[in-house]
Amino acid sequence: MEGSTLVDDLQEWLTESYAQSVRTAFLILILGNRLDAEDAVQEAFLRAWKFRDAIAKESSFKPWLYRVVVNSCNSKLRQEIPHRDRRSAEESLLNIATIDKVSDRFALSHDMMIALKDLPEHLRVVVVLRYYVDLSEREIAIAISRQPGTVKSRLNEARKRLAEHPALQLLSGPPPTRKEVTP
Amino acid sequence: MNPIDEDVLTNALHDVANSFDISSDAASRIAIEAASAEATPRLVRLPAFIQNQSRGRVILVAAALVVVVGAISVPLLRGEESPARNFSALKSPVHGGTSTVPLSGALGVKSAALSPPDGAAITGNTTVVGNGSTTAASSPAGSLKIESTGAVALTVQGAKVSPAFSKLTSLVASDGGFVSSTNAHVGTRGSGQFSYGTIVLQVPQHSFALLVAQVQRVGRTTSVSSNSADVTSQYVDLTARITAFKASRQQYLAIMQHATTISGILAVQSQLNNLQSQIEQLQGQLNVLNNETTYGTLSVTVSEAGQHSLVVQPRTGFSKAWHDSIRGFVSGFEWLIRIAGPALFALLLLGALSFLGRFAWRANRRRRI
Repeated sequence: MEGSTLVDDLQEWLTESYAQSVRTAFLILILGNRLDAEDAVQEAFLRAWKFRDAIAKESSFKPWLYRVVVNSCNSKLRQEIPHRDRRSAEESLLNIATIDKVSDRFALSHDMMIALKDLPEHLRVVVVLRYYVDLSEREIAIAISRQPGTVKSRLNEARKRLAEHPALQLLSGPPPTRKEVTP
Repeated sequence: MNPIDEDVLTNALHDVANSFDISSDAASRIAIEAASAEATPRLVRLPAFIQNQSRGRVILVAAALVVVVGAISVPLLRGEESPARNFSALKSPVHGGTSTVPLSGALGVKSAALSPPDGAAITGNTTVVGNGSTTAASSPAGSLKIESTGAVALTVQGAKVSPAFSKLTSLVASDGGFVSSTNAHVGTRGSGQFSYGTIVLQVPQHSFALLVAQVQRVGRTTSVSSNSADVTSQYVDLTARITAFKASRQQYLAIMQHATTISGILAVQSQLNNLQSQIEQLQGQLNVLNNETTYGTLSVTVSEAGQHSLVVQPRTGFSKAWHDSIRGFVSGFEWLIRIAGPALFALLLLGALSFLGRFAWRANRRRRI
């Protein structure tokens, strides 16, 4: 990738994908808040910008940028957020949802947040990248520096855990039953 | 339970993510901040083969393993070499239904019959004797400190133990040595008696080989053993430590002359006493070492022919094979115990290196971004 093209891509990413990146970070930092997500994305973008010469050698631009975002979120999860009061963080998270939007699907969002919160971090990241950012398994593998097979198994594990989560029991539905054929 | 439906999951995630608004000016604020930042080139870029994680890890672990094994095996292999060579065939105490009666001096041999000549010094000739053969090896005069010890077992015909002791005494005297100790006994077997004894001879190092050869002609030799050990490093170490302590003592004496207070004088005096004690202790060790390296020690056991030998005859056949097998088993077990410590250390070191490598790998991966 040429340097000028890269700069253009970065600017485009900033203008067009900023919102999605912040929401991605918000989902990953499920125990943080919106400000944490914005901080993480800002830090990720500035780091990507600072090392743009190195990024130019990367073949996959989008997953690579999400790798920066994920790593930035990981840093926050490990260094900053654990030192805060978890209960206050959860309350602030719920308050955001309550204040910003109240709809028919509020209950579902609330349950999903609870289920996401209970997912381990490594599973939560792949779920968010796959089903919210819509990256392919290969792109996720680049973003988290793991093998595609690992991504696949993590996705399966995450979906199973979500299905088993009490808050999402209604979403997963009952197991399929055999239809009775009447003569 | 079936995994959650992908469409449901996607919709739910979008709902959660869209549950708050994004600041409109955040992107422009970041763009302004980024505009003032200069691009920083990567200072260190890992080679491509390390970026391949699985292969890189394997290479790192293999390299660490090679380093650890090399660091441990080299000293172990060096430690297998022994500075002293020992040819064994040693004496054993009297056994087999005999009662022993001490007869100190009864055989007409006085302990320490001859005093060592003054001013005797080693010439640097060292001798290694084994299995009845004598070999001479030369070394630079005055540079080596060799400690020689040996043992000879003789049998003599009839009641000739006492004359044999007399002959050995005259032999060691003629070689410039002296008798260190004698020990003679009379044993009974059946209706008869027999005598045997041990005489310890000390002779200047340069005459040690000659004495061993002469002693073997006194009677019929049943075994000979000799051991030479180089104690030069020990000698040099003792000498250096004594020199250093003496230099310290001189300094304390100089300080003592300038001391004005009683407490200061007492403190210096205490140090001086301590130093003096250490110097004397080391000097004693040096004197012992000097004596041992000046004179070789030869222990001669004399017994009458036809009696139970005082020397364990070398085993042969099945007996030898059996004892060799037992000895091999014990040696193997000793080797296992000996190797267990370094092996445990190697495992711990490998674990620590692996942990550090993994930590560095992760840190580096984060830094790359």
